[in-house]
Amino acid sequence: MARYLIVASRDMTEYSNGPSLSDLSENLRTEGADVFFFLIENGVLSARKDSREAIRLSELSGPGIRVMADDVSCRARGIDRLHPGIALSSMDELADAISEGFGNIYWY
Amino acid sequence: MLQEEAEDGILTKKVRKVAIVISTGSYMREAPTTVLRLAEKLLERDIEVNIWAFEEAVTLTNREQVEHSEPPSLRKVIGDKHAYVGKFIDQLLRAGLHTSKLDWVTCILCAQERGVEHHQMNGVIVGTLGDLWKFVRSADQVIAIPAYR
Repeated sequence: MARYLIVASRDMTEYSNGPSLSDLSENLRTEGADVFFFLIENGVLSARKDSREAIRLSELSGPGIRVMADDVSCRARGIDRLHPGIALSSMDELADAISEGFGNIYWY
Repeated sequence: MLQEEAEDGILTKKVRKVAIVISTGSYMREAPTTVLRLAEKLLERDIEVNIWAFEEAVTLTNREQVEHSEPPSLRKVIGDKHAYVGKFIDQLLRAGLHTSKLDWVTCILCAQERGVEHHQMNGVIVGTLGDLWKFVRSADQVIAIPAYR
């Protein structure tokens, strides 16, 4: 099974290609891939409860796609409520994903 | 290269070496901080980390960086001194003496253009695109941090 690590470090609503990350994740899952979607820096703005991108990511979260948000980035932005389906995570989990061999890394 | 090892009869891929490419300089964006946080965690996992810094990222390892005093009104909140990123890079490079190895290479052309070629901190290698190629070719994983404006 192909494994993809997608890291979103930008606000996904700031640039027009941001939402394509969600489409990419969905298409990869459809192809049978395992996707680890990690939000960091301004990317965690899309984890905020009830934000538009959070709703989309929440819908995607489930078998085949894990959606995580970096705890330090959330704290720095005062984000303490994540949308359901998006888990609070840490740099340790990102390092684990890299070390476990998510062979394809896309850093946005 | 990426190796497969049997753990309880299950083959899992083990990453031994990661290359990170960064072009973001000090005080521009959070990317340098994120790279340092990630590098520290990878080194803790006995993973060798090779960082290739180019464009403004060559200023991250300028040894002339100094702490400066914070405004009095902010000292209770953020402390007396404003730290600089080079300090943390230096700590990581020194940690590599006792843990997994960290190599930090700055692009010679980018450093010359910015006048910092002869101001790189100890432990940093001023290199060429050939070093980048070697990093990429030997790495199990390559992470390219995008520069966006």
